[in-house]
Amino acid sequence: MSKTKPIAIILAAIILAGGAAFYMSKQAAPPVEAVASSAPSATPATAPNGGGRSRGPKDAAVTIIEFGDYQCPSCGFYSPVVLEVLKRYPTQVRFEFHHFPLVGIHQWAMPAALAAEAAGDQGKFWEMHDLIYENQERWSRMPNPESEFLTYAGRIGLNINQFMQGMRNPDTESRVLQDVVRAREADINETPTFFVNGKKLEPRPQNADEFSRLIQDKLPK
Amino acid sequence: MNKRVLAIAIVAFLGMVDTFYISLKRGGPPVPCHVTKGCNDVLTSRYSTLAGIPIAWFGLAFYLVVFSCAAFELTGAARLMHLVYWPALLGFLISLSLTSIQAFVIHAFCEYCLMSAGFVTTIFLLSKRTPA
Repeated sequence: MSKTKPIAIILAAIILAGGAAFYMSKQAAPPVEAVASSAPSATPATAPNGGGRSRGPKDAAVTIIEFGDYQCPSCGFYSPVVLEVLKRYPTQVRFEFHHFPLVGIHQWAMPAALAAEAAGDQGKFWEMHDLIYENQERWSRMPNPESEFLTYAGRIGLNINQFMQGMRNPDTESRVLQDVVRAREADINETPTFFVNGKKLEPRPQNADEFSRLIQDKLPK
Repeated sequence: MNKRVLAIAIVAFLGMVDTFYISLKRGGPPVPCHVTKGCNDVLTSRYSTLAGIPIAWFGLAFYLVVFSCAAFELTGAARLMHLVYWPALLGFLISLSLTSIQAFVIHAFCEYCLMSAGFVTTIFLLSKRTPA
């Protein structure tokens, strides 16, 4: 009996399934320009005030706020995207990071946030922030990544004793928790959640180009 | 036409689309996760690969084999469907373990993985040990 027919069907199925999957994977979220005119969501679309760490000029025309979790893979994906955006708009964009460790699912999100804050006490928040995200895949699989954070602390030239004290200081944890409270009050329930000039980005831009288009719209013409 | 085999072929095809999609999105932007919210935690966890090979690829191979057997059977070229039973049982048990890992270890669910678990279970329930 001919084997040509089933083989043709199998090949057609592979092409169809692959094509459908490829099409779905390329279906970006709706263009970011549509965000402003999209239907209002159930959650407040404005950013909460106060707290957070910021980089970039204070008088920047555009402020990007992120509520992030250092162990969240999506946040890890967006870290280089944000860095690229900041590189493209060094004088026009200010970036503000707020902690929102999802401790229920990410065991090491809180220690990572504490490490960043403890580094911040020595004026090196962003150096630690970038290192933590850069190495997320590595430390988040460790049985206990605190020693890894100590290595980063050494690499960026922190006083190690002071850093360890900072990580264990209740005030450090309290700062992180204050960010969490702000996130909860604003009904933020996922990470990363981005705001641009106070407006929540729904859906999130998929790459630096989409982010840039959004920023371009906000810059004075 | 054998409706049971046709149903298996359709489910295997859907499984191929699902696992193809997860494979393509691997390492790229976060996958949209509207229902369960935990897709990216699951898909980037240490349980998402086996010996360095993404689990989704094993799933894709499984669905391709099942679909191929169904295609041969439906066209009358060869009776292969009874060969699906044991791999389907194994697939069902693996899906059960992976779903348990999502629930009790990662504490996050991935809707694409749950869909695939549903497809494998359906294939297992529809498959028979002996030739019809």
